[in-house]
Amino acid sequence: MIKRLAVLLAVLAMVAAACGGSSESEDTTSTTAATTDDTTATTAASDDGGGDAGQAAEGGTLAAVQQRGTLKCGVSGSLPGFSETQPDGTAIGFDADYCRAIAAAVLGDANAVEFRPLTAAERFDVLKAGEIDVLVRNTTYTQSRDASGEGGVNIDFAPTTYYDGQQLMGLSSRFSADSGPADVDGAILCTNAGTTTEKNITEWAKIGGATIGLETVEQFPEALEKFIAGQCDLVTTDGSGLVANKVTKEREGEIQPGEWVVFPTAPISKEPLGPAFRQNDSEWGDIITWVVYATIIADEKGVTSANIDEQKDVDPEATRLFGGEGEVQTAMGLNADAFYQMVKQVGNYDEIFARNLNPLDIFREGTLNAPFNEGGMIYAPPAR
Amino acid sequence: MAVTVATHERPPFWRNATVLKWAAQLVLVAFLAIVILTLRAQAATNIEDRGITFGTKWLDDPPLISIREGIDLQPDSGARALYAGIVNTLRVSISGILAATILGTIIGVARLSHNWIVNKIATVYIETIRNIPLLVQILFWLAVIQIFPALDEDSVGESLFLVTAKGVSIPWLFPAGGFYQWLVFLIIGAVVAGFVYFRLSRLKEERGGETYAFWWSVVAFVAIAVIGWFIHPVMAFWGPIFDGISSFFGAIPRVLVQILLAAVAVLAGTLWIRRFLESMRTPAGLAKLTDDDWFRMIFVGLMALIGAALFVFLPGISQTILNMVEAFFNFLGAKFSGESVAPLTYTTPAVELRGTGGFAQLSDQALVITPGFFALWVGVTLYTAAFIAEIVRGGILAVNKGQSEAGLAVGLTRAQLLRFVVLPQAFRIVLPPIGNQYLNLFKNTSLGIAVAFPDIVQVGQTIYNQTGQTFPVVILWMAFFLTGSLVLSSIVNYFNRRLKLVER
Repeated sequence: MIKRLAVLLAVLAMVAAACGGSSESEDTTSTTAATTDDTTATTAASDDGGGDAGQAAEGGTLAAVQQRGTLKCGVSGSLPGFSETQPDGTAIGFDADYCRAIAAAVLGDANAVEFRPLTAAERFDVLKAGEIDVLVRNTTYTQSRDASGEGGVNIDFAPTTYYDGQQLMGLSSRFSADSGPADVDGAILCTNAGTTTEKNITEWAKIGGATIGLETVEQFPEALEKFIAGQCDLVTTDGSGLVANKVTKEREGEIQPGEWVVFPTAPISKEPLGPAFRQNDSEWGDIITWVVYATIIADEKGVTSANIDEQKDVDPEATRLFGGEGEVQTAMGLNADAFYQMVKQVGNYDEIFARNLNPLDIFREGTLNAPFNEGGMIYAPPAR
Repeated sequence: MAVTVATHERPPFWRNATVLKWAAQLVLVAFLAIVILTLRAQAATNIEDRGITFGTKWLDDPPLISIREGIDLQPDSGARALYAGIVNTLRVSISGILAATILGTIIGVARLSHNWIVNKIATVYIETIRNIPLLVQILFWLAVIQIFPALDEDSVGESLFLVTAKGVSIPWLFPAGGFYQWLVFLIIGAVVAGFVYFRLSRLKEERGGETYAFWWSVVAFVAIAVIGWFIHPVMAFWGPIFDGISSFFGAIPRVLVQILLAAVAVLAGTLWIRRFLESMRTPAGLAKLTDDDWFRMIFVGLMALIGAALFVFLPGISQTILNMVEAFFNFLGAKFSGESVAPLTYTTPAVELRGTGGFAQLSDQALVITPGFFALWVGVTLYTAAFIAEIVRGGILAVNKGQSEAGLAVGLTRAQLLRFVVLPQAFRIVLPPIGNQYLNLFKNTSLGIAVAFPDIVQVGQTIYNQTGQTFPVVILWMAFFLTGSLVLSSIVNYFNRRLKLVER
């Protein structure tokens, strides 16, 4: 009897201790709660990410990034020309350079970037959970992704950095540049899951009266592998990605030049790609927006990383952005020389484009990505 | 010298074991409730801060996705898409469980074989397969199928087996028009065969001598199946009966079902408590109930009340049950049309040119196993079979050595010894751990996402990317796997209870 009582008391003591512990932890709700919620809300949230999310909610992303001293940037990591992960964990490419541009503007150091390779399927949840500060992962700006109600993905977008369109790629022995839905009827297509690509091709096939089988994989390289093995007859994704992969394979000698063809010439969808960030963080959103605009204005005014020291005080608009007192920059919460550092370390729009995409036979001339005064869509509001 | 006599006093309440025990239980319940409520409230605010929405509209909206294989390739609602994913998960799980059980048993017995080569092959198989992560193996099988030739115009034609980069195709028997009518004959045949077996076994025990009970029951079953094959249209009269049942369920008012289900819940709770009290009854009256007994009864009572309340306040549950029963009998009714077509059709694999584009694809006429299904199915089957083999070996070794010696002493051959003495006893030992392996296999099918197999996880992931509804989808995943696992383990537990030695 006494023994049982002792056991009981021990249990009671443990319960009491647990209660005491809980009341203590309630005092420090902010830290514990943020961590706990991360484990419930996201699948792979580390404690690290949880802490940052807490900061982000209180002081905004800008304060969190400045305090941390590095920018966490979500990229694809496996798309030639846009972001390709390097052996040392960094990434190179058009998207990766925009990560560097943001880091240079915010922190003054283009290399203060922590690249986070993400699949298309996980990117929005990782962004919303606060594990990354900005998503520059060839992400299409769409209405449903912008929408904040039920059924919306609920994130915000910066201006478009690259105007893309979805196309298909097949063997040139079977398809030509002007093949249409009728030529695709009965085929099995591969693409990556969780993209607008999947919706577009389903709609396009439906309207064109074509019956297709769609196989969706985690990452686009898997789709390409399946295409090479003959598991699918076609692959589909954004045109830039198709051309980049095609050229890469041709260079590596895996296929003959012209063995694959990208079609139709007029893309089947509009895919404006740009950086994305968390909703309701205007301070941070303004900075990313103006990083994009600043690269475009620098291009417009002919300011490059090579000549910025001579050119920064020539044009009045360029002076406001890259030289002078930098009042507008400090009003945004940045250093006065934020965009000077950005152009100096990373370059203007044309430099970023040429450096990463020209080697893959993707050029600006005659496309939507040409400057506005040359018939393209690349345009920025005035800096003043 | 006064003598003090110790009188029995009730201890003060803070030393009263009963009071303390109850207090501890209540404190624990309150503590748990507070923890859950705090976490819930905190999660709700954080979710709102981050703009994560939580809705159910996506279940009805067209998802605009295509599914590579399964019952619905272009689902018209999110719920339908998930359902197609569920069916794919179940296809892999059930076929995988059957194959893994057979293969595992064979390998497990082979592992104990006295034949050196057989023994070593089994050992190498087990040690290789179970020491490599399952995901790696699944990816390996995908790579294997990618080596096989791609299809083109030249490959059009029929053959007995087709292994290509676009999948594997094998000959298959598909149920055709008269299948359900024939199925009735199969059921009758099974019942008759069981009866024959039972009677002949009795006869053998009473009179001695071999009666070939097993073989006669097989003969009875085959005979009825063959006769049924030709005369199955006579079963057409079931059609109107099933239609009638269907319209009967369609006519039942929902309220009645709600009341009925709530009553069943309350009744089940009451019966359990009554039976529990009965079991406590001794010749000298009701045994003293311990505190645990009280907890148990209160818990069951509460559960029954909660169940009843759910049926009363959530009419959707009863409506869904009604609709499902109605749809089921409606489906059955439509299958009994009296058509005189063969119950099964035999098909052979073929490559055909499909669509106006003329793409060489495996024809759907035979069974087509897609690369994703192949990789996942082979992966989980071989992997689980290795573990089942070890369990079977352990079970056989656990049967007392004296049993084998006695069997051999009475002149049984090794095969007979295994069949009549060792395996029946081993089966009893291995059933619970094998049940665990079934659960593992079921859960491991979620790895299909690595090879683009459209199971519930892959389809769900695509949906939440289109809609942003991560949370509801993840909850549905968890609910599905939890339900599936619980059903599977209750089936295994049922057989386990039937098979275990009854001790008195």
